[in-house]
Amino acid sequence: MSRSSRAVVTLPKTAKQGEVFEIRAIVQHEMESGFRHTEQGVRVARDIIREFVCTYNGKEVFRSELHPGIGSNPLFIFYAKAEQSGSLEFKWTGDDNYLTIVKQTITVL
Amino acid sequence: MRLLGQLALLGLLLAAPIFSYADSRISAYTLMSPSNQAMQNDMNLNPAMFWIMDGEALWADRNNPSNKACVDCHRDAKQSMKGVSATFPKRVQGKLLNLEGQINQCRTTRQQLPTLAYESKPLLALSTLIAYQSRGLAIAASRDSALEPDLQKGKLLYFQRMGQLNLSCAQCHDERAGLKLAGSVIPQAHPTGYPIYRLEWQNVGSLQRRLRNCMSGVRAEQYAYGSLELSQIELYLMQRANGMRIESPAVRP
Amino acid sequence: MNQRRFFITSLTTLSLSPWQSASATPSEAMQAMQRIVGNRPVNTGRIYFDLPPLVENGNLVAIKIAVQSPMTQNDYVKAIHVIAEANPLPNVVSCYFTPLSGKAEVSTRIRLADSQKVWALAQMSDDSFWRTSVDTVVTLSACTEMI
Repeated sequence: MSRSSRAVVTLPKTAKQGEVFEIRAIVQHEMESGFRHTEQGVRVARDIIREFVCTYNGKEVFRSELHPGIGSNPLFIFYAKAEQSGSLEFKWTGDDNYLTIVKQTITVL
Repeated sequence: MRLLGQLALLGLLLAAPIFSYADSRISAYTLMSPSNQAMQNDMNLNPAMFWIMDGEALWADRNNPSNKACVDCHRDAKQSMKGVSATFPKRVQGKLLNLEGQINQCRTTRQQLPTLAYESKPLLALSTLIAYQSRGLAIAASRDSALEPDLQKGKLLYFQRMGQLNLSCAQCHDERAGLKLAGSVIPQAHPTGYPIYRLEWQNVGSLQRRLRNCMSGVRAEQYAYGSLELSQIELYLMQRANGMRIESPAVRP
Repeated sequence: MNQRRFFITSLTTLSLSPWQSASATPSEAMQAMQRIVGNRPVNTGRIYFDLPPLVENGNLVAIKIAVQSPMTQNDYVKAIHVIAEANPLPNVVSCYFTPLSGKAEVSTRIRLADSQKVWALAQMSDDSFWRTSVDTVVTLSACTEMI
């Protein structure tokens, strides 16, 4: 049973062949760093997203390894080259069985 | 030549009143870095967007004894809630209510649900959703004469020294706005963007949370969440900021 | 009074300074870069690293990193790493690109515990390395929360 949360991905619906287009991906996650303490002095356990991968028709376009130094609600703005129409998949995995997957299609003209 | 000089001076004196009518009130938005301003402006980048989405889910939630969701009375929040947060706090059935108070009143009377605690996720989600619908509109503080005693009390509290540091809100935010406190510029303290995503909190929070921050900042015992005093201070602040543009949900450092 | 206690305990309360543990030192940051680079030489420059020189709050700092590259199968940027000298952990994020990325450019938001030097280290497809750094001052807002 995995935990999941909201993710918002923004990319154009269409792109010209060969065009490099921008993708924005933001996911709702507190990214508990593991360095905070409660009022009683007890450390709050680390709970972060560890990896984010974007694939385009199954081929990797962008991947990132996240550490506690990434801010809450991690945002990545990156790029991809339009080759063929198809779908992009965005996957976030992290501590405590965290998994969120979002898919979006693109039409390449 | 002397006459010309005198005419020029006269012209300047006549022009001066026009300049003094200019609104000298400015939002703390102007004090932020361009990158934080961009974070606020673009809802695609604004962390508060997730609270708005949570709010939209709650708006349609019928899981309560009355089987009624907000949407059943208020329909689409984008239409019905437009301009609503701009008018709070105000008198509702004889009671001074801020937006959170109004939300809780609806929950208890219409949905038979218990009140939501201040700074709880659901209450922040709903207040952020509602306040967002007033983004870009002017604060329209209520002109209800029945509010006068609360307004005067709020004003009194604003000008009253408090805490171990023995400072009043006015001493920092009226007299010393624009000057620096520990490296940060003191803002005029207009509540144009609440609820805010405060980077300091890594969370969305209400105006009352921020006011309690201020009180702890001067080492004063904080008024309780939902207290009449905090609502009265909110009322005075909104009246003081009347007409200013709403930025909710704002981003602040 | 009781109401206040209730609200306080119902929140996840935190200490005033979230980064109370010992922070990394410049040498730990160098070690972190060493682990990535190994024995290979590192050139200076070539990377566009946008990090504000003055940060109002270190909890969420927007950064942008870009490396000019044709991004072809024979010549592309494989990875960009961000290393912070004074965070509790030096490694902040590692971003991996492919020729399909089109551009070796990424924007994200990081945490900075203190005023410090932050490094961007790029690894090219021919396993050459480039790096650049930005010095930043991190401030805290006044009237921070007291629980």
